[in-house]
Amino acid sequence: MMDGIWLGITTALSGYNIFMVAVGAFAGTFIGMLPGLGPISAIALMIPITYGMDPSSAMILIAGVYYGAIFGGSTSSILINAPGVAGTVATSFDGYPMAKQGYAGKALAIAAYSSFSGGTIAAIFLLIAAPVLAKVSLSFQSSDYFALMVLGLTAVAAFAGKGKFLKAAIMTLFGLMLATVGTDADSGVSRYTFGDINLIDGISFLLLAMASFALSEALINIIENRKVTKEEKAALKKEIGSLKLTKAEVKTIAPVIGRSSVLGFFVGVLPGAGATIASFLAYGMERSIANAKEKLKFGKGSLRGLAAPESANNAACSGSFVPLLTLGIPGSGTTAVILGALISYGIQPGPTLYTDHPALFWSVIISMYIGNLILLVLNLPLIPYIAKLLETPRELLLPLVMFFSLIGVYLVTFNTFDIYTMVLFSVVAVFLRIVDYPMAPMILGFILGGMMENNLRRALTISDGSLSFLWERPMTVTILVITIIMLVWPLISQLLFGKIAASEDN
Amino acid sequence: MVKSRIGAIFFLIFSAFYFYKSFDIHLLKGTYYDTMTAQTFPYYLGILGMIVSGLILIFSFIKIEKDDFMDMKKLRTYDFKKGLYLVLAMIFYGYTIRSLGFVISTIIFLILGFRILEAKSWKVILLTSFGISIVFWLLLTQLLGIYVENGVIFDYFLGAQS
Repeated sequence: MMDGIWLGITTALSGYNIFMVAVGAFAGTFIGMLPGLGPISAIALMIPITYGMDPSSAMILIAGVYYGAIFGGSTSSILINAPGVAGTVATSFDGYPMAKQGYAGKALAIAAYSSFSGGTIAAIFLLIAAPVLAKVSLSFQSSDYFALMVLGLTAVAAFAGKGKFLKAAIMTLFGLMLATVGTDADSGVSRYTFGDINLIDGISFLLLAMASFALSEALINIIENRKVTKEEKAALKKEIGSLKLTKAEVKTIAPVIGRSSVLGFFVGVLPGAGATIASFLAYGMERSIANAKEKLKFGKGSLRGLAAPESANNAACSGSFVPLLTLGIPGSGTTAVILGALISYGIQPGPTLYTDHPALFWSVIISMYIGNLILLVLNLPLIPYIAKLLETPRELLLPLVMFFSLIGVYLVTFNTFDIYTMVLFSVVAVFLRIVDYPMAPMILGFILGGMMENNLRRALTISDGSLSFLWERPMTVTILVITIIMLVWPLISQLLFGKIAASEDN
Repeated sequence: MVKSRIGAIFFLIFSAFYFYKSFDIHLLKGTYYDTMTAQTFPYYLGILGMIVSGLILIFSFIKIEKDDFMDMKKLRTYDFKKGLYLVLAMIFYGYTIRSLGFVISTIIFLILGFRILEAKSWKVILLTSFGISIVFWLLLTQLLGIYVENGVIFDYFLGAQS
């Protein structure tokens, strides 16, 4: 393991890779800052650039973009109360009031320190947890993988939020259906191509990610006609104030950061949960353990209320890499896009990644730490200047986002059919966004679709066509039982807590 | 209008079509009696899709959450016209990128995009669209060594054979 870590350190610390993580963190910060554009869009927009790179450098760049996007989201949450990323919504609860009171600099500094600490603590956890899980997962068979994928997809729906379970489920199925377009990997038979040669290779994941996120987010921005309000303009022009923290303030936030980072990491590891749930949970936990006097400060500029979600969301980002790197199964929309990118570099993440590509495995983990350091050292002092970019008129910015999305996909295949397909998917995505159907489960379903079918086929072939593979191995059974619990949990919780709430109301 | 109902109808139709088309998947000889053919997965996905969208549809009649109603007031403020124009601009971009070449079609697409979004200063519009297109083209062809089409106009003037 020490050899691996050393290999990771030397790879991640090469001048080129440090440059990559810096570029990624910077680009991510900028894109994440734009209201409406999240980390999935930021990563999707950067993927075409990485195609010519060595996979380790490419992944380092992408990891930097991921962190940067979350940090950028925090910046716009604090400065203008417009979170660019769902994971930083909880940041705005106390960050924006602080900025309004003239402590924007302090709020940004707390966000940066918390993100850095959260990311660092989680990176250490990842360093320990990933190899252990990778070793365990070496004993996994196709039936376990199939069960794990069902669990992953169910969890996304289960964590989708109240009343959204079925919506997330149908979006996952939609993704699975789209994944079947093209030539069947096993028999070579073409499916759903309607005789069109352009569909023989199926729909590319980059096209779908770009259309359903970057392009549709830009289109929604245009349709909603959201203009920068006078208040936001004034907030951006205001001086952000000192970035320094007092000793007492550091003392207040240090234990919060510790608690929230651990919570964030474990929530991030869970399939389906992620930065958003982690940040809300950490915020909720901090508020519930605060004393009555402290509690009143929450929502009005509490330091604890800002530090908790910020450390949790960054820790969750690192946590979400655990199932991705060790099992090859993404737990969120963002890691699904990263998985898609890895596959397109010719690398299949999973238990063998640890042994087959140790440089990549370890350098990604080490680069997470470096990425956090860069965010702290480079981005924090630059924030006042980066924030000025938010003033760039949207009438110039949005067509540019569209151009980069279209050309990013076109330059991979040089096929204009891809441009038309993207336009079609983006229109469908805009419609689905308006009627409030979540996009992330679709991309997760799409990425897992092919793998899921292959593993199911393999498991069925091994068990001679019998469904007994579902209950023959204890591992498969355990995973499936967890899946069933997750499936019925929304119902049980509604019955249990609904009754309690009703009796309390009475 | 109930949002989940509109989506459910869309997915019900889509799943039904998907299910119906799963029978068109041509199976190879000798694979008819395989445990899992190319048709199996799509077949069950289609059924599941119909069940889940059907459930959403049924629930949308039984219990409607407050935020599930379409906010008509907000919807009326939406500028669908601008969205449509940009969609048309993207289709136009796809149509012209080969014939007019990367640089010219990108310049036109960006100018169209900026104007649709009501950018006012022509100086900024022209500088940005020409600047981005040419810098990006130079980056692709000169630095990264990626071939992009010159377009028929360039080829005509340069006398290149295609």
